[in-house]
Amino acid sequence: MSGRTTTDPRGGTRMRLRGLRATAAIAVLALLAAACTGGGDEGDDGDGGNGPVTITVLDYYGEATPFSEDVIARFEDENPGIKVTYEAGDWDSMHEKFTVQVSSGDSPDVATMDMTWVPTFASKQIFADLTELSGGELGGEPIEDQYEQGALEAMTFDDHYVTMMFDFDAYGLYYRADRFKAKGIDVPTTWEELQAAAKQLAEDNDGDGQCDQYCFVVEGNDCFHWCELLFQAGGEILNDDHTAAAFNSSAGLSALEFYKSFLDDGSGIYWGEAQGEKIRGIKDGRIGMFVDGPYYMGVMKDGDPEGKGDWGVAAVPYAQEPGSYLGGTGLSIPVNAPHPEEAWTFVEYMLQPEQQIGVFTLAGAAPATTAALQSSELTKPDPYFGDEAPFSIFLDSMATATHFPYVEQWDPIDTDIGNMVQSVMLGKATPQEALDTYEAKVNEKLAG
Amino acid sequence: MRGRLRKWLPAYLLIAPALIAALVFLYIPIAYSGYWSFTEYSGLGEAKWVGLENYRELLTDEDFLKSLWNTVLFVVMGMGIGPVLGFLSALLLNQRVRFRAFFRAAYFLPVMTSLVVVASIWKILLNDDGLINQLIAFFGVPTHHWLDDPTTALPAVAVTSIWQGFGFETVVFLAALQSIPREYYDAARVDGATYWQQVRHVTLPSLRPTIMFVYIIGIIGSFQVFDQIYVMTAGSPINSTRTLVFDLVDRFNDLNLGEASAVAYVLLAILATLSYVQIFLFERRRA
Repeated sequence: MSGRTTTDPRGGTRMRLRGLRATAAIAVLALLAAACTGGGDEGDDGDGGNGPVTITVLDYYGEATPFSEDVIARFEDENPGIKVTYEAGDWDSMHEKFTVQVSSGDSPDVATMDMTWVPTFASKQIFADLTELSGGELGGEPIEDQYEQGALEAMTFDDHYVTMMFDFDAYGLYYRADRFKAKGIDVPTTWEELQAAAKQLAEDNDGDGQCDQYCFVVEGNDCFHWCELLFQAGGEILNDDHTAAAFNSSAGLSALEFYKSFLDDGSGIYWGEAQGEKIRGIKDGRIGMFVDGPYYMGVMKDGDPEGKGDWGVAAVPYAQEPGSYLGGTGLSIPVNAPHPEEAWTFVEYMLQPEQQIGVFTLAGAAPATTAALQSSELTKPDPYFGDEAPFSIFLDSMATATHFPYVEQWDPIDTDIGNMVQSVMLGKATPQEALDTYEAKVNEKLAG
Repeated sequence: MRGRLRKWLPAYLLIAPALIAALVFLYIPIAYSGYWSFTEYSGLGEAKWVGLENYRELLTDEDFLKSLWNTVLFVVMGMGIGPVLGFLSALLLNQRVRFRAFFRAAYFLPVMTSLVVVASIWKILLNDDGLINQLIAFFGVPTHHWLDDPTTALPAVAVTSIWQGFGFETVVFLAALQSIPREYYDAARVDGATYWQQVRHVTLPSLRPTIMFVYIIGIIGSFQVFDQIYVMTAGSPINSTRTLVFDLVDRFNDLNLGEASAVAYVLLAILATLSYVQIFLFERRRA
């Protein structure tokens, strides 16, 4: 006001300056406010509004996702009060993405969760208590009645559910059925038979003593494959109360020696991180036999359609007892999810048999609920696998599968075990040296 | 006072957006990270003050010490070869060679390419069935698991980084070479200096500030190596390519924000010390 009434000959300048100051102050404050608030996203999805609530779903399935547009549209039709924002990711970057979102207070409402990540996230109290949120029921029935026992154990941390298993992963033996037939090889059922079959199947084209074609895959950088052998030999990763490593045992030693033998006798191919996805070797014929979960049926159909009819799936041969790691994908709700109730409604919907069967038909993976597992859709002959119905193999495998120990330090322990296996496979340590070294490391981590 | 404020106000206003952005997205996070490095914190809930425990933990943590050692090796390989290659190629391009502009652009092209793309290409080249193994097999040399052998994995990643980065050093050195007065070389020639004597006694002393710049920037960049590792080896085999930033990210992914922040501050301390030592040595020599 005074600016406009001044008689100062430079009043015009002063007025402009004050105006500029005021504008600048407002601009600075606005910038600060924008920067500090990070742009709230309440709007029509806020709890207090009258419009529909918008939930965010973070999914790592990729292109062949069971969270298809149709599935989500049907959910929105059935639940007019809830809108779904679908965020696609990929498995490789999902762990980081989820970590960043949760720790920055920008959590999704529902996230697909690899079951091997559950111990770390659950122990950090990242997940909402699904026992409380669900009231112990899924679609009006007790949760216990809708999963196999192994799955229920895998979903539980500290006596409450932290995730709902959406697909399961237990291993089967994939083999080149056409080559087996051509060479008269019988499908192996024991370790000895597996070793003999791998030797017969492998081809050394350049005479260097190493397998070049139709090799058995030795995966060196993870716990999954060696731990399966450990279970089959009667061993365990940790002791019962999860206070010390238990893998440095005769079972651990025989599992390491057996795994290494495929590289020593020229029937195996070492498939490390640098080799990329196994599907490359499947396509170009380097791989003739490998151990993996049901999701790989979908990967093969997508990545190597020309291989149709060449492959078969059998139960994984074992030493003393059948055994597999039990993993898969869970649907979890972060503890700081903006809309946990609506998120649970979505989780319930995705676990209905219709959507669960989509896990198989759309993604080529194995659904987890018992209702879906009984579907005839899963036992149809599959032309890719010579009109066999390989799904039952994985189902049987699930019955004897074990999930990884639920300890807070699982991620670094998993890395240590991967390094242990790798050091033996690459000839950097003898099996016993590696077991001793990494037992000490794991014990140190468990001691905190 | 008012007069001074009035004089500088437009300047303050102009730098305000950048300053606020730096404050919010850089300095406040740095301060938070510093605080978290003294806490046990998962990113949710309250951070629990643990004093120097995270730093003590790092000193005895084999994964961290291995990461530190790998990073030092990577820096030595990268900085031992990259700037020398850059300098030599700049010397060549500083001659009256044909297609000079083409070579300059060709050397700089990898610098403009995304590191993730470069790393992906080199990963394919270095694969068991990649072009490099096919080439050496053609000449009868045994092939090698470059990225799956702990002794060759880190050098292989370093080669990728050198290939990607030395074009930048070439361009910087070339610009500096062209700013050296011709009279210096004329005088040296009159005194009977050979080409390499001119390089040693004229070129290198004149390039000292540029060399300092290239090494400071290069060492800082090399200590922060991550993208190539993430794409090509993910820290394997047997942690032989696990570097400091990879270790930091791994701890962050395990939701150990306290330890991850402590690693970040150790990295900051190393870089600050190295940069200070380099500048100190440079200034002392100049004096």
